[in-house]
Amino acid sequence: MLSIKNLHASVEGKEILKGINLEIKAGEVHAIMGPNGSGKSTLSQVLAGNDAFEVTSGEVTLNGDNLLDLETEERAREGIFLAFQYPVEIPGVSNLQFLRTAVNAMRKHRGEEEMNAAEFMKLAKEVSKQVDLDPAFLKRGVNEGFSGGEKKRNEIMQALLLQPKLAILDETDSGLDIDALQVVSNGVNALRAEDRAILMVTHYQRLLNHIVPDYVHVLAGGRIVKSGGRELALELEEKGYGWLGIKDEDTSN
Amino acid sequence: MKSVPMLSGAFLQPAGQSLPDPLLAVRNERAAALADMPMPTRKTENWKYSSKYLKLTEDMAATLPATEKASSLDVPGYRIVLNNGAINRADSQYPDQGGITVQHFSDLDADDASSLAQKLGSTLDAEQTQFAQINSARFEDGLLIRLAANTVLDKPLFILHETAATQNGSAFPRIFVEAGTNSEMTLVEAYVSEGDSAALVDTVTEFQLADGANITSIRLTMEGETVQHIGATGVLQQRNSRFESHCVGFGGPLRRHDLQVRLEGEGAETKLNGVVVTQGKQHYDNHTSIDHVAAHCNSEETYRNIAADQSHAVFNGRIHIHQDAQKSNADMNNKNLLLSNGAEIDTKPELEIYADDVKCAHGATIGQLDETSVFYLVSRGIGRRQANVLLTMAFINELVEQIPVEAVRDTAQARLNDFFDQTFQEA
Amino acid sequence: MATTDKEVKELIKREYEHGFVTEIESDTFEPGLNEDVIRRLSEIKQEPEFMLEWRLKAYRRWLEMDEPEWAHVDFPKVDYDAISYYSAPKKKEDMPQSLDDVDPELLRTYEKLGIPLHERAKLAGVAVDAVFDSVSVATTFKEPLEKAGVIFCPISEAVQKYPELVKKYLGSVVPAGDNYFAALNSAVFSDGSFVYIPKGVRCPMELSTYFRINAANTGQFERTLIIAEEGSYVSYLEGCTAPMRDENQLHAAVVELVALDDAQIKYSTVQNWYPGDENGKGGIYNFVTKRGACIGKNSKISWTQVETGSAITWKYPSCVLRGENSVGEFYSVALTHNYQQADTGTKMIHLGKNTRSTIISKGISAGRSSNAYRGLVKFGPGAEGARNFTQCDSLLIGDRCGAHTFPYIESKNKSAIVEHEATTSKVSDEQMFLCRQRGIDPEQAVSMIVNGFCKEVFKELPMEFAVEAGKLLEVSLEGSVG
Repeated sequence: MLSIKNLHASVEGKEILKGINLEIKAGEVHAIMGPNGSGKSTLSQVLAGNDAFEVTSGEVTLNGDNLLDLETEERAREGIFLAFQYPVEIPGVSNLQFLRTAVNAMRKHRGEEEMNAAEFMKLAKEVSKQVDLDPAFLKRGVNEGFSGGEKKRNEIMQALLLQPKLAILDETDSGLDIDALQVVSNGVNALRAEDRAILMVTHYQRLLNHIVPDYVHVLAGGRIVKSGGRELALELEEKGYGWLGIKDEDTSN
Repeated sequence: MKSVPMLSGAFLQPAGQSLPDPLLAVRNERAAALADMPMPTRKTENWKYSSKYLKLTEDMAATLPATEKASSLDVPGYRIVLNNGAINRADSQYPDQGGITVQHFSDLDADDASSLAQKLGSTLDAEQTQFAQINSARFEDGLLIRLAANTVLDKPLFILHETAATQNGSAFPRIFVEAGTNSEMTLVEAYVSEGDSAALVDTVTEFQLADGANITSIRLTMEGETVQHIGATGVLQQRNSRFESHCVGFGGPLRRHDLQVRLEGEGAETKLNGVVVTQGKQHYDNHTSIDHVAAHCNSEETYRNIAADQSHAVFNGRIHIHQDAQKSNADMNNKNLLLSNGAEIDTKPELEIYADDVKCAHGATIGQLDETSVFYLVSRGIGRRQANVLLTMAFINELVEQIPVEAVRDTAQARLNDFFDQTFQEA
Repeated sequence: MATTDKEVKELIKREYEHGFVTEIESDTFEPGLNEDVIRRLSEIKQEPEFMLEWRLKAYRRWLEMDEPEWAHVDFPKVDYDAISYYSAPKKKEDMPQSLDDVDPELLRTYEKLGIPLHERAKLAGVAVDAVFDSVSVATTFKEPLEKAGVIFCPISEAVQKYPELVKKYLGSVVPAGDNYFAALNSAVFSDGSFVYIPKGVRCPMELSTYFRINAANTGQFERTLIIAEEGSYVSYLEGCTAPMRDENQLHAAVVELVALDDAQIKYSTVQNWYPGDENGKGGIYNFVTKRGACIGKNSKISWTQVETGSAITWKYPSCVLRGENSVGEFYSVALTHNYQQADTGTKMIHLGKNTRSTIISKGISAGRSSNAYRGLVKFGPGAEGARNFTQCDSLLIGDRCGAHTFPYIESKNKSAIVEHEATTSKVSDEQMFLCRQRGIDPEQAVSMIVNGFCKEVFKELPMEFAVEAGKLLEVSLEGSVG
């Protein structure tokens, strides 16, 4: 489904990704782990098409089509979803309005009828329950005054609504207490499907206790330095990144 | 005595000639440029709330004579005493540290004088500072303070402006500070007076901060009830320089201070604090303006006014973000306490913004002491008067505490205590 | 993200959709202003003597006044002798008695503007007074309003039919000599709406005036007077459009509101005069004086405005809060684009005890426009316990526009409390990225974010106009994403 070949990317002239190679097939769940500053978040932003990052070389294809040629919103409509690490607030724009606009943009793209307000409300209410968000949240401004946990749940709710082909979860576990982590993980597990791939970016392995990945990759210095199965994450937890010759002061957890 | 319809008419009198030629030339040039400058009126925007307090009569136009009277103030640092704007060498203690020079305008050699002539007045917006222009046309002498690169002055430098209002007249003190790269200094200016004749103190202080310079300016305005005080401070800041200002002002028949800061180099930072208290029929008007000319600069401004009795306090703060000043941060806050129904407070926090990627905010409030807080203190056995004093002090305490020179803090506090004594009578 | 600006710029390019001209024969005065012109105007309107005297007095005052220069706007001097002060569609002998008498071309004009006047298509629940250039051409729903005792008619009709009310209130809130443009309007005002809500009456429907400038080289000087008697309520809306012309046209209106004890007036404006083209050519000069007097205790006047049009806007809908416990409100969205300039805001003059006011102002600047909030909050010595809250937010779209805030706050009463806050922001790259990552078009994203920014104001508008206002913003912003 997703194929990344020798991807290099920089921000403000500084190279962050230095040749990433990765293949993700439909139905698979991949985890990318790595210390702070290894380029994990950059990779998710680049895949989603954030213009702040410049791709200097390499290629990325989604089901054979060149992803890098597409605008951010076109990638989204092709099924790329990014759950943000720090979801931004949009004051005055209600969650409901925002989500309906997004869902309808996707539907329009697929040549489907747009959903009317009532239909959408019904759908959104159901999905919000799945991530344990009070439907009253739908009426509030996008991320406006949300707690950290609420923001993360809101992101997962959006993934459930938009039904992407590839969901990229950027540090979705950070800042969550154990109950919230459970809720978010349940949401993510509900996303798992034959025709969908999930790419989780995380610093810690605890998320992987709840969402068991098929593959684990370790990113360091802008490259994938080791790949393996689930057991790699456990090994990392036990031994820290130092074991792989990677410096990281903050691996305890 | 006749009041003055045209500032230039009466106030542009011939002044002494004991200055180097380039500075005399500056003075003459300004005098000519000021021809027909009208007296500010209610319709003059920057004097809207204060023109009625300007009471200038023809006999006040003459420069007050130098008195060479020793200052009564005892200060923990270097000091320069100015009597009616004239420098009192005998009573001054010039810094003896290397890297700093304090020179009198009248002593400058031709090169220094012509270099100063280029810069004099360049830190101020001429249109907004009418009286600084008059100063430029009238100053008799002045102080040029220069800090060489990397000089860190070990003690504060005090400039004691002593006005002897023993006869009607004016004083025109003038100070120019050049702070070299990465230099540091604390400059304290204190304005006091004696005598009860009608006097005008028309004073100008200018600062030029080179890259990385760090200047703290403290200003205490405490002249008597017959002295009208109009001051202007101009500040030009280059890259990564830092300017911090603490102004404490006590009201008078007319008090005006214009503080203008231009952030011209990236990464420059400015912090302006101000406290004003007025009582009786006093007046005080602070006009500040911060120009973000370069990108990535920060400014933070906090002013508090307290007006009692029939007094009148004015604040006008302007933040101007120029077109290329992206990533500017500017925050302005003005809170006011109105202690009596006869008093008046006017405030105008302005933003003028021409760049989009900026964070700017201002806030202003006017209100009275919170009755529930007063009641709370009283219910704990504190007398009502004392409760009022405590809460009023609390309103400005944060700013007084930040004044980095203890002696100034103490002086300010003592004067504030007098203010409270007179404002809050025993029940 | 450089592309955000690019997107915003592209979004803002869009045609003004009300820019057509109605081909209709008009009676138009020769350009120029003198006492004879005023006499002729008064004569055509068949005004009583007092009205002519009032106009002439205002004219003489105007001659002695200077054009104001304090606003943060910049434009070439208006040549007041190059303007025609009266233009009306030619009609048969008399005023139209019913809609059937109105020129079908005019009816089509309003239909095209989305304001159908015809019985069948009339806006449900909204009575409309349609003002075309200098005259009112039609007023809908006259009968049901009359039944309720509400007077809603062209002011020229009110001058004849209700001279006592007009004499009592005209100029009582905005005196003829109040300012340069008010004086000019008092001398030459041609038409406008008159509303009178009797004691205890809740006006059964929204009242609305739709102003249309059509003729070239004319000024529009309408005058609106609304009187809400004790315990009454009225919600009034006005809309404005004009054809696209290369010359600037002057619109200098005066609106006066009077609220007696316990009365409430809600006044909403959707102003979409022709703003000029993308090079700043043409457009309306909108120099308007709007003021409401809360004379009675517990009275309330609420101004809501959405200002997207005009080359230059100079407008400060204000409240004089005289009555005890009276309330003033000002909710404003002002959007400027291309070379538009707006200097707008409000004055809240607190004179009575426990008076309260709220100011919410949202300014959006795009292109090379300039957008200033100018406001005054004043507490007189008698404003015991008065309160004001002010929030001024600016949103900048692009780096060649300006957003300014000039609030004057004056207090002479210690128990009065004022709180003022202002912020400035832009449509952030992060917000754009989030929206686009969810598949939303950049244009739609900007308009959604801007609408969100304006939400507090839009919720004050009557329902059907809130939707229109949102759309209007979308249109006005088109091409602003670059």
